Amino acid sequence: MGLTVAIPKGRLGEQVIQMLKSAGIGQCINEKSRKLIFEDESKNIKYMLLKNSDVITYVENGVADIGFSGKDMIMENNADIYELYKMNIGKCKLSVAGIKGRKIFMEDTILKVATKFPNTAKKYFDSKGQKIRTIKLNGSIELAPILGLSDVIVDIVETGNTLKANGLEVLEDMYDISAMIISNRISYKFKRKEIKEIIELISKEDVNID
Amino acid sequence: MFSNQTNVYKINEMLWTVRKYNKERANMKFLKIEDEIKFSQKMFKLKREIENFLSEEGYLNIEPSILEEYDEFREIYSKMDKRKTVKLVDNASDILILTPDITTGIVNKFMSKWEENLKLKLFYYGKTYAHNSVEISEKRQMGVECIGEKNGNTDINVLNTAIKVLKKYSNNYLFELGNSKFLKGLMQSCSFNKEDYNNVLNLIYYKNKQELREYLSNLPYKEAMSTLLNIFDLEGSFEEIIKNLEGLYMNDLMKEGIKELSKINDYFINETNKITYDLSLVSELSYYDGIIMRGYIEGSNKEMIKGGRYDSFTEQFGPKIPAIGFSIEIDELIKTLYKEEL
Repeated sequence: MGLTVAIPKGRLGEQVIQMLKSAGIGQCINEKSRKLIFEDESKNIKYMLLKNSDVITYVENGVADIGFSGKDMIMENNADIYELYKMNIGKCKLSVAGIKGRKIFMEDTILKVATKFPNTAKKYFDSKGQKIRTIKLNGSIELAPILGLSDVIVDIVETGNTLKANGLEVLEDMYDISAMIISNRISYKFKRKEIKEIIELISKEDVNID
Repeated sequence: MFSNQTNVYKINEMLWTVRKYNKERANMKFLKIEDEIKFSQKMFKLKREIENFLSEEGYLNIEPSILEEYDEFREIYSKMDKRKTVKLVDNASDILILTPDITTGIVNKFMSKWEENLKLKLFYYGKTYAHNSVEISEKRQMGVECIGEKNGNTDINVLNTAIKVLKKYSNNYLFELGNSKFLKGLMQSCSFNKEDYNNVLNLIYYKNKQELREYLSNLPYKEAMSTLLNIFDLEGSFEEIIKNLEGLYMNDLMKEGIKELSKINDYFINETNKITYDLSLVSELSYYDGIIMRGYIEGSNKEMIKGGRYDSFTEQFGPKIPAIGFSIEIDELIKTLYKEEL
């Protein structure tokens, strides 16, 4: 039974492909080619290169059996998948940031939050009892508080350098994020052995990274 | 610390609401009359085949009612998502709902007038209704309920019927069995508070081993946690599970669950490649208590059959009456069977 693996394009994907190659299973992938599907016939594995936010969609709908995705995306999509393995790569934080000294929690005020992750932001602030209005943005989130579009932002923070360069700072860390190996729920029933094997191989490579 | 919150945030989305029910429209829309008639004929044939089969197996047909009383239903179906039910108001200003769950409707109808020693083997075909964010979705459902009988073979017989239904339509089917007594017993011995209970259950639902380990490491240690930490190894063939259970903590309820599964495994010993077990199975309906079954067909991305034993559900009406049943996702089945044509 063949396995279909969804890999995100971009930096996370590059790291994943490196791992697959050193684990001895990703040789058929040629990152320089413009092809998006690579097949390893001898091992019966098919790799698909997708936009990172689409990995979950492909896995959840069973087009891919397993995939690599950041926990941020998994939370935002509230995906009905298995979160089988938490990797040592793609580590960062999902945080609330804003102009230095900005208060986040204010009773009776609706906080304006600009973010790529409106669902996650909504749930987080709900649990804290703070009413918010989300403003969905697709990039350059840091600009929103500076230009007065929002009070704060909710975004991925790795080093904090981008924030600093734009006069912002982390006001509160929300969640620890890392890359995860996810699996379709039904695929996992039919291909448990194959899926566990590939995770075992990758986890060995994953330990070496830190 | 933060990763714990990751899960807190998911609680509200809990498992109890039938997940992702809303994502797709259940009813197909056709552009051409011809296509609609064709589809209707296929559905008619499929329905009749399964109904005939269930009838031959000794199940009696019952027609489920579409309307239920809101207050009454809410009381017994505590996990019902109030926002999702489709409500109607009658002349006396009483609120009615279009049924969101047929099993609950049947139990509600019969339990209040239950007579001792009654044994019912029933099947139904009906539609369930729910609001999704855009519209009201209508879903076809067929199912089997076996109420009042519990001897050594009841679980096996019902499971056998379920297997035969899927077998009729595909050779590439797979059944997955669990027993809610195992997880229930395990969770009891861990004596979590409500928040931890939900979070742990959520992590189990997502098979998130590392975060489960992290989460448990922040809680006071209990012996039962050793089993909880290994719960994701308790899946696969029954033999594997028994092997992996060695040396792990088990209480009486958990042992009872294993014993029930062991009996089933003995009976279906020749079909071991079609039956797999998962002791971490979390049922989306809290009323299951005992065997949980799921049936899949390769090529479909949904559970084709869902069911289990729900004795304690009947208890809400008075005496505890043994009951087990399953439902068939007939909309999904027809899509899978006629994948190319539809």
